[in-house]
Order: sequence, then structure tokens, then C-alpha cells
Amino acid sequence: MKRKSILCVTLAAALAAGSLAGCGTPASESSAASADTTSAQASAENGAAIQPCEVTFWHAMTGQQETTLTELTDQFNAENEYGIQVTLVNQGSYNDLSTKLTANAAADTLPDLSQAYNSWLIPYLDKVVHLDDFVANDYDNYEDIMEGYREETSQFGFINAMPFNKSTYVYFYNKTMFDELGLEAPETWDDLLNIGKTFQEEKGMVSLGFDDMAGMLEATLRQNGSDYVNEEGAQFNTEAGQQALDFIMEMYNNDYARLVGEDNYFSGPFSNQLIPAYVGSSTGVSYITHEGWELGVAPLPGNTEKAANTAGTNIVMFSKDENQQKAAWEYLKFLTSTDATVKWAMDTGYLPVRTSAYESETYQEFMAGDATATASYAQTDAFFSSPAFDGSYDIQNAVNAKLEELILNKADSTTAMQELVDAVNGAL
Amino acid sequence: MKSRKPSAVAARVAQYAVLCLGAFFTLLPFLWMISSSLKTPAEIVRIPPVMIPETAQFSNYAEAWAAAPFGRYLINTVIVTILTTAGVLVTSVLSAFAFSRLKFPGKDLVFSLFMATLMIPGEMLIITNFMTITKLKWIDTYQAMVIPWISNVFYIYLLTQFFMQVPDTLYLAAKVDKCSDLKFMLRIMVPMNKSAITTIAILNIIGSWNSFLWPLLVTNSQEMRVLSTGLIRFQTEAGTSYELIMAASCILVLPIVIIFLFLRKYVLEGVAFNGVKG
Amino acid sequence: MQHNQTVRRRLQNGKGYLYLAPSLIILLVFTIYPLIKAFMMSFCEDYSIINGSFKGVNLQNYQDLFADDVFLKALSNTSIYVVFVVPVSILLSLVIAVLIHNAARGKAIFQTLYFLPYVTSVIAIGIVWSWIFNSNYGLLNYFLSLFGIDAIPWLNDPQYALAALIIFSIWKSLAFNILIFLSGLSSISQDIYQAARIDSTPQMRVFFKITVPQLRPIIVYAFLMGLINAFKVYNEVFSLFQSKAGPANSAITVVYYIYDKFYNSGDYGVASAAAVVLFIIILVLTMVQKFIAKEKEAA
Repeated sequence: MKRKSILCVTLAAALAAGSLAGCGTPASESSAASADTTSAQASAENGAAIQPCEVTFWHAMTGQQETTLTELTDQFNAENEYGIQVTLVNQGSYNDLSTKLTANAAADTLPDLSQAYNSWLIPYLDKVVHLDDFVANDYDNYEDIMEGYREETSQFGFINAMPFNKSTYVYFYNKTMFDELGLEAPETWDDLLNIGKTFQEEKGMVSLGFDDMAGMLEATLRQNGSDYVNEEGAQFNTEAGQQALDFIMEMYNNDYARLVGEDNYFSGPFSNQLIPAYVGSSTGVSYITHEGWELGVAPLPGNTEKAANTAGTNIVMFSKDENQQKAAWEYLKFLTSTDATVKWAMDTGYLPVRTSAYESETYQEFMAGDATATASYAQTDAFFSSPAFDGSYDIQNAVNAKLEELILNKADSTTAMQELVDAVNGAL
Repeated sequence: MKSRKPSAVAARVAQYAVLCLGAFFTLLPFLWMISSSLKTPAEIVRIPPVMIPETAQFSNYAEAWAAAPFGRYLINTVIVTILTTAGVLVTSVLSAFAFSRLKFPGKDLVFSLFMATLMIPGEMLIITNFMTITKLKWIDTYQAMVIPWISNVFYIYLLTQFFMQVPDTLYLAAKVDKCSDLKFMLRIMVPMNKSAITTIAILNIIGSWNSFLWPLLVTNSQEMRVLSTGLIRFQTEAGTSYELIMAASCILVLPIVIIFLFLRKYVLEGVAFNGVKG
Repeated sequence: MQHNQTVRRRLQNGKGYLYLAPSLIILLVFTIYPLIKAFMMSFCEDYSIINGSFKGVNLQNYQDLFADDVFLKALSNTSIYVVFVVPVSILLSLVIAVLIHNAARGKAIFQTLYFLPYVTSVIAIGIVWSWIFNSNYGLLNYFLSLFGIDAIPWLNDPQYALAALIIFSIWKSLAFNILIFLSGLSSISQDIYQAARIDSTPQMRVFFKITVPQLRPIIVYAFLMGLINAFKVYNEVFSLFQSKAGPANSAITVVYYIYDKFYNSGDYGVASAAAVVLFIIILVLTMVQKFIAKEKEAA
């Protein structure tokens, strides 16, 4: 604890130096500059270099999420020593926010901060402020941020965001039904096949669904140690990849799993006990109603490896003005601090972004009574995120459509491999 | 109704049977919207669907209303709708009059140009228009939500069709009486086409009342937002609180239904002058 | 004297533009200018809307477009859609409008009832119709079962998704057309009907000999607007299939494709090229339609 506070002081001093060194240079340049512009010669007298200002933060949070975000922001506005005022602006759904960001990028009127997925940023990546310097010089313990999130937010070769409202895919199951058939939550693919077989034989039921088909494919491939896609195209035309497809097609062709189709989300049929298990976002738990039966939540099963999709946005900085950047960074530090991320996670059902938050007493206590949080925590080591690059959206689209088609046609897994590879490469 | 022949009675019965069957299907979603607004979250997702909620959850309305500053939104929506509709009526009547009565060079070309604007999906125009609005420094203003929408070719064309049906003899007679074009338009054309103009007003009121993406795009402050942007408060990436959306939708729709009930009789009202046609 | 007349004529000539000015200015700024920009974008390879940069001026976007199976699928879906939706919708709404117009009682009630879909929340409409189409407990399959037809997986099977979209869209377009037709019907002078009534002309004959010809301009309007709007179908897809284009993309339409390319893929050039192709198709068809309408008028 003591060492941490010393570190903080040093970092604050380093930040002050950074702010001095950045004076007079265009914002985008200074933000992108390498860490050596800041030196250890910084003196603490210049620490309070941030002028009072207003920082705009665009988000797509609603309901409880928005309430908590407002509480946290009010706290920051009241407590920060620089007189920074963060203004929250709700910009509709993710789709609306994405459209709005594109339009404002074109008009060059982006806000200081915004929630965003990496894939949105590709057309205007040069307007994103590089956070490397801030992280290096003015962050208490970056290693404390979950590794999967750090990888995701540095996939463009620089730190492009701080993780915020994160979730993961988990396995929801009807514990009452499972108990009745003497089944346990699955840990491996074989368990899934066994559960599928049992439900078909005993109840004539399909026992699994995935809300996100492309996400299912990627996770399954990774669970077998296979790559998925990159800028060059499909990377799964391998033995490991074929095995993964064999497994997927076996599940679907034997009616152990089904497409979501007209139900749109599996939470509906799952709540009505029409399907005993599904894989979906951990935040989806608020849409599950379980009247008269017990809900179970488990980490995603694996094969040779474990792999679990992460979802949810990060916060990206667009400020051009140096002072605005520093003010916005203060807010980002606050939002990703252990205390704030714990409060955020407990109130909203999203996941904390830091290890120390998971380990905090408050969150541990909360987790003991929350099956979804427990299952999510159990698979943090297996977190991965889909890479975003020019064309990744088209690939996802093509994969979703092709998988649905293959499953509807009950294709064999060799055909499935061939057609999926073609679909991916054709989308590029 | 004078004839009471069996075949005529059968025709009547068939007429009402068809109308009632059709009405059932048109009404179904509307009733569903109301019924869903009174359900519990569990009833919303129940399969097979629940037609009538066990106990009506009127609290959904209170909760929906509290989720956003709907009072402020309502004022903005009313302002934007009134301004847009007034603008649309003025520009449509003027343009339709020009196209149907006045002679000027390049008329066909201009008309084709007007029509051509309908043939490109509006989705393509949004970003360029947003940049224009930004350059005009109109972000967060009423004019940003109103001005781009006060000219509508769908309505201009519709009104032109109606204006064309007014016989030329009336116009020529007015000319002889030294009645100016503007006077003729206001005194004769507009009253004679009350039905069509009301129709346009109704359509436009609904259009601007419900418009969503554009108002969201050109406003940033809570004080300038409109009602439709309040609906998205109940949607997240993992699912939707349908009961609250439906409650908010009912609130949103109520004023329009009232306006419609008030205006609808003008749509059915026939031409005031007898024998002006043909 | 002579001079004066020319001046007056010129003023007369300019007058038309004076009346058009308000619409024209708005259209120039907010429709025609972005339209021209979209045209230009379609010829720019790898155009970026963010900074206006591009690789070169060529037909690459069009080549990409026509090499994309998804676009071709969207094109064929949209054509099928237009062919079914436009005539059926106009015929149905015309019949309903005439029935309402002739109703001795309940005119106001029916007018209101048939108008309500126009104000109902799109989300409610989408949900209700996905319930009507539901394969297990949907209303439509229930009706079909009365005629001994097996349950059809309307929304789950790519074979039926487009059919479901067409049925849904016909329903959805009725409210607008009925309103327009009712307003057109009330503009027809009652004298003509009176004459027919005295002659006790059969209803059917009255419909085809009086109503339809009198309503012709409005029918032409409804047809043209229906055609244009049907080619631009997007919201119907979105609301029926809940944010996707049907199972395995089977119900994708051209505008859905354009929207997806523009806002999700960031392929602004390809999206613009698709919009230009759509523009040309609609333009040609409306010209053909106008030509036919004129021929008929002459006949």
C-alpha cells in the first residue's frame, strides 16, 4: 500500500512534466509522441497544470447503467481538485452512437470522450488520441487492468482506449432441469455432446443455443487452439479448425443445438423453459425471468484450451486541446479506479476492469451471491476479443449468414469448412 | 340504403365483413401495444404470448415517464412539429400551384429534378447534411431540426395532382376578373383542396412527431431533445424492456391520435363547389 | 407598348420560380447537393467520408458492387418485393377505401381504425408481426391449418422470409394509401354518382366506370410513390427481423445493403455506387411508367 502511494506521487510528478513538455505542440502530435518527451526531471510545483474546463462524454448507457454512471460522474465533478466538469450526453443506442460518431468525425466535431467499439474507430482512427503517454506517466497500475482488455485496447499498435462497460459470454442453464436428469454444468465439448444427447433422448429437446453465431465460431476455434481471421483472411483452415467445425456441425446436425431464429434472443425461450441452456452475454441475465426453477451460470466449456468472448465498449478520447486531454484523462483514471469499477460492476452487472477490483472485499462479497459474476470471474484468464480491422465487420456479417445457411442445410463439416473459408475470404 | 333487395343486403353484409376483418388486423398491433404497456416483464416474454395482463401494471407508465425529462421533450416535439408542418404546407402549396397552374421555362426539367430527389435513399444524405448543419453552426437548435424538412416532394407531387384536377375554366375566369395568382391560389385552390391539404398536414405531423435519427444527430443537450429519443432509454445491447417502451410509445402516440380524430373529418369532406369537376 | 409586354412576360416567366423558390432552395441545399456528392463518391476508389481522401477516380466501386453476391441477392429480392407489394397494396387499399367511402354507417370509425397502424410504434408492429408469423403459435399458421396447410417457418427459413416481408409490407403500406384514396374519393363530385344512382347502374360498373377514372391521378400518384418507396424498403426489414436481414441474410434489400455498407463497413464508395444503381433503376422505371400513363391518357 505504501509503495503504491509513492508510485502515485512519482507518476503525478511525471504527468506534470509531460504537460510542460507538451506545451506549444499540436495536441495530436504530443499525444502520439513517445514516452521520452516526459522526463523524470519534473518538479512537483507544476503539478496543478490543468485549467478548469468542461469535458463532454458521449455514451449509450440507459436505465440503471445511466444512473450509476451519473452518480460516479457527479462524484468526480464534486471531488476533483482541478474544477473539471464532465458532461454526460446520452446518444441513443450503440448503433445511433456509432452513426453519430461517424458524422461528427466527418464534421471534425468529435466529443472529448466517447464509448466505442474498436471496429467503429477504423475510418477515423487518426482522430483517436493515443493514451500511451498518459498510461506510462500518469496511471497507478496499468498491469492491474485485466490482460484481455489491455490486449483489446492496444490492438492498433497503441493504447486507443480504456476499458469500461465490459461483459463476457457465459453458459446459462436451467439447474432444475439439469438436476432432474442428473446432469452437471459442462466443462468440455464432450460434456456438451453428452448433455445434448441426454436431452434429446429423455425429453426430445434441443439443449443449447448461441445468441452470437460468429462469436460462437471464434470461441470454438480458439477453444481448440485454432486461429480465426485476420486482415489476410480465414486462418482456421487447419486440422484444429476442422475439429472445431466437426464439433459444431455435430451439435447442430444432431439437434443438440439450434439457431435463435424468430426468438431473436435466447433469453425468451430460456425463461420459458423451452430450451435448457444457452450461451450469451453476462449482462443478458437481467432479461432472464426464472419463475419456479433455479438458474445456473457456468463458465464457457473448453476443449484443448479455454476461450471466452468479451463484449462491451471502451472509452476513447478525441480531445484536441492539451488541457482538455489532461482533464479527460483525470476522468478516465477515476472511472477505471478500483473503487469506481467495483461500484460500476455491482450496480450494473458489468464486470470490473481490474484484478484489484475482483479481489476487493466488497466485490468478493457481492460475487458470493451472484452466480453470473462468479462464472465470469472464473474465466477471466480465458478472455479474448475479436480483432477489429478494415473488413472485420464484413467478415462477421458473412460468417453469421453462412453459418446460418450451413446449419439450416445440415451441411457436413468438410463442406462447412470450405464454404466458411470462401465466405470469409470473399468478404475481404 | 333505399333498395332492400336480398342481393343488396348480401352486398352490405359482405362489405362490412371485409371491413371488419381488415380492421381486426390493422387494430391488432395497436391493441398489442396497449396491452404490452400494462404487462410485467415476465408476462412480456411468456411463450405463448399473454393477450391480456393478469393485473394491469399502470406503474409502467409512471416509470417510463420518469426515465427521461419527457415534459421538456414534449415541448420541443410540439415546437418542431408545428414549425415543420407549417413550413411544409406553405412550400407545398406554393410549389404545387407553380407546377399545376403557372407557365415558366424549364418547368418540366425542374419537376423532374424534384422527382429525382425522391429516388435516392435518405440514408445516403445524412452525413453530408450533418456537415452542412455543422458549418451553419446550427447544432442544438430548432432550425436544424426544422429547416431541412420543410420541403417535401412527396407532398408537392400529391398536391400538384389535386390542383391539376381543378378545371382550367376557373383559373381563366379568375384571370378575366383580374384576380391575381396569389389571390386565386389562396381563395380558390386552397379551400377547394382542403381534403388533400389536411391529409398532407396529418402525414407530416406524424412524420416529424416520430422522426428520430436526425433530431438525435443534430442535438447534444438534454434541453433540445425530442420525445422519440426518449424511447431508446429502455433498450440495451442485451435486451429490451418492452413493457416500458410500449408505455412510452402509448404516451407518444396519444397526442397524434387526438390530432387525427380532430382533423380526420376534413379528409372526408367533399369539395364545397358542386359541379366543378368535368 | 411592345417593350412593356415583353417585360411583363418575362416577369410572368420568373413568377413560377418565385413560387418554387422556398422548396427549391431547401432541396438544393439538403437533397441535391448531398445527392451530387454521393454520385461523385461512387466514382472514387476507397473514398473516406472523414477526410475526403480517395485512391483514384475509376469504376472500382461498381466493379466491387456487381462482384458482390450479397448485392445481387439484394437486387433480386428488392425486385421481387416491388413486383408483389406495389400492385397488391394499391388494389387492396383502393377496395378498402371505396368500401369505407360507401359505408352508410361507421365511416369515421373505419377511417380511424385503418389509420391506426400509421401511428403505432414500429417496435410494437414488429413484435406483433413476428408473433403472427411464429411457426409454433402464430396466428397465420393457425389460419392456414384451418385449410389443412402445415405450419410454415416464416421467419426461420430463408425460403419464406421474403414472403413474410412482402405480406408484412403490404399490410404496413395500407394505412397511407387508404388515407390518400379517401381524400381523393371525397374530391370526386357527388353529381356524377347521383346520375349513376338514378340510372341504377350496378356497383361494379360504377367502380370501374366512374370511381377509377376520376381517381386516376391519385392512383398514378400512389403507384409511383409506392414504386419509389418499395425500392427503398429498409425499415420493414429492420422491424420484422429485429436488426438483421432475415435468416442467412435471405431477405436483404438494396437499401439495407447500402446502409450496412455505409454505416457499418465504412465502404462509402461502394454504398454510393449501390445508391446510384438504385437511382438509375427507379428513374428508368418511373419514366416508363409516366410514358405508359401518358399513352393511356391519349388513348
